[in-house]
Amino acid sequence: MYKTQSNRDLALELQSQIPYLRPSIHARRANIVVKFQDLYGFTVEGNVDDVNILNEVREKVREQGRVWWALEASKGANWYLQPQVVSISQGIALKSSLKLSTLANAITLKRLIRKGIPPVLRPKVWFSLSGAAKKKSTVPDSYYNDLIKAVEDKVTPATRQIDHDLPRTFPGHPWLDTPEGHATLRRVLVGYSFRDSDVGYCQGLNYVAALLLLVMKTEEDAFWMLAVLLENVLVNDCYTTNLSGCHVEQRVFKDLLVKQCPRIAAHLEALEFDVSLVATEWFLCLFSKSLPSETTLRVWDVLFYEGAKVLFHTALAIFKMKENELLLSHHVGDVINILQKTTHHLFDPEELLTVAFDKIGSMTTNTISKQRKKQEPAVMAELDQRLRRLNTLKMDDK
Amino acid sequence: MATTGNKNINAKLVLLGDVGAGKSSLVLRFVKGQFVEFQESTIGAAFFSQTLAVNDATVKFEIWDTAGQERYHSLAPMYYRGAAAAIIVYDITNHASFERAKKWVQELQAQGNPSMVMALAGNKADLLDARKVTAEEAQAYAQEHGLFFMETSAKTASNVNDIFYEIAKRLPRVQPAANPSGMVLMDRPAERTGGASCCA
Repeated sequence: MYKTQSNRDLALELQSQIPYLRPSIHARRANIVVKFQDLYGFTVEGNVDDVNILNEVREKVREQGRVWWALEASKGANWYLQPQVVSISQGIALKSSLKLSTLANAITLKRLIRKGIPPVLRPKVWFSLSGAAKKKSTVPDSYYNDLIKAVEDKVTPATRQIDHDLPRTFPGHPWLDTPEGHATLRRVLVGYSFRDSDVGYCQGLNYVAALLLLVMKTEEDAFWMLAVLLENVLVNDCYTTNLSGCHVEQRVFKDLLVKQCPRIAAHLEALEFDVSLVATEWFLCLFSKSLPSETTLRVWDVLFYEGAKVLFHTALAIFKMKENELLLSHHVGDVINILQKTTHHLFDPEELLTVAFDKIGSMTTNTISKQRKKQEPAVMAELDQRLRRLNTLKMDDK
Repeated sequence: MATTGNKNINAKLVLLGDVGAGKSSLVLRFVKGQFVEFQESTIGAAFFSQTLAVNDATVKFEIWDTAGQERYHSLAPMYYRGAAAAIIVYDITNHASFERAKKWVQELQAQGNPSMVMALAGNKADLLDARKVTAEEAQAYAQEHGLFFMETSAKTASNVNDIFYEIAKRLPRVQPAANPSGMVLMDRPAERTGGASCCA
């Protein structure tokens, strides 16, 4: 079941195998579009400038690794995994146990994570800081294997949909799109569908789980990351029956856009452009279908540490970055093209995250929770109304 | 530009239908002339645009290809709001998908724009051996509910361009064209200039 070590270290392997691409001056002049594999094995199409940016990003990832090693050397191994450091940054510290050095570590860690976790450390750091390790520790060690064995041959609407989606999840990826990749992803998704039957399986989770598999060392850890994400990190009911949580997030997002980017919001409103048309996919796939892989994972680095507010920071930043262009657009199609082009070419995570955290006003998890509470009744009423309307239609039909 | 005397129409078009009926494949065939066996599953909706020239106008379709899974249907109003046209897709080898298509027709007729042009597409028409929905049954349903009906195959391209052309022709024209017989010269793939004459 776990003989996939070679594949699991895909990122590292690819990193060492792929030589720097040195585009010739002719290619540059012709602005030729080239295809290449990124750090996580995804095929990317881009121009010569994109290739150069990706090379720079690789170099930055290495530099960031050196920063982490240096800190480890001075603060001790796994300093960032101490429970107190974790809890302080998440705002749940006990005053009595507060030591200055712990506080300093927490501040360092927050800054460090926003600058990116080196890919080799991601499995360990994510697993611990997200709360997945804690979640796993509350059940017997054999939980995952028992679950997988117990549900192996069961057929449900969820498993049927999962089977339908396996070959449609990042098709062409050198590991995910192999029989072994499909089987592994299937086990994680099917396992989760039985863990939480309210969620079962929702399209979109296939992309999230696939990326988790590429990052984490084992499928079991990927499973726990998925669990902590759905049960603790994201808003409730994001993926259940009528996606009510997702509707709530979209309304909160629209309000935030009005507050943080009023000119853009007003312009888009005049064009009758509903930002949810594009943002729904961002929130449900946690950007994995829109941003390049390393950029997505940089967002996830912060997501697992600081919580779901990070999704709002990121989404707002994408609009903010293109403010001038968006204000000049006259048409819904133009707006979508600008946003799609932007997200697909965000090869430099720094470009996005700098805007997300320095140019977007700060939000606390608390204010977001309050906003959600405010929106919930309207969402429920709207969903309920639609359901009743449809039911009336059925009655008329009889 | 050569479109002087002709009208340019922007039309929002939405594709609705059961999961795996082939909505994305139809769009991909129409917009890019391609077919892939495993199309990435659509989350929320995907946006495409494509311009067609019909005899009296140039129609720019803004296409919303929606996700098929049941729980995504709560998002549908956002995509069909203000749409000028809809293609409701089912899979001819799957009767449940035809039943689901009927529900979409109901919902659109109750909620959508009353002048919306609606097409019913029985997709995967290349899989004749596995057929579960007859063309007669679908045709009768379409007629009764004021839709037009075509069986399509995104795989072989059969009737794919045709269904979009037919929609383009049926879209309401605000005013009569000044030059109905004029030729429109546009930069677009040659295969589409042949109009509705594709391999049926």
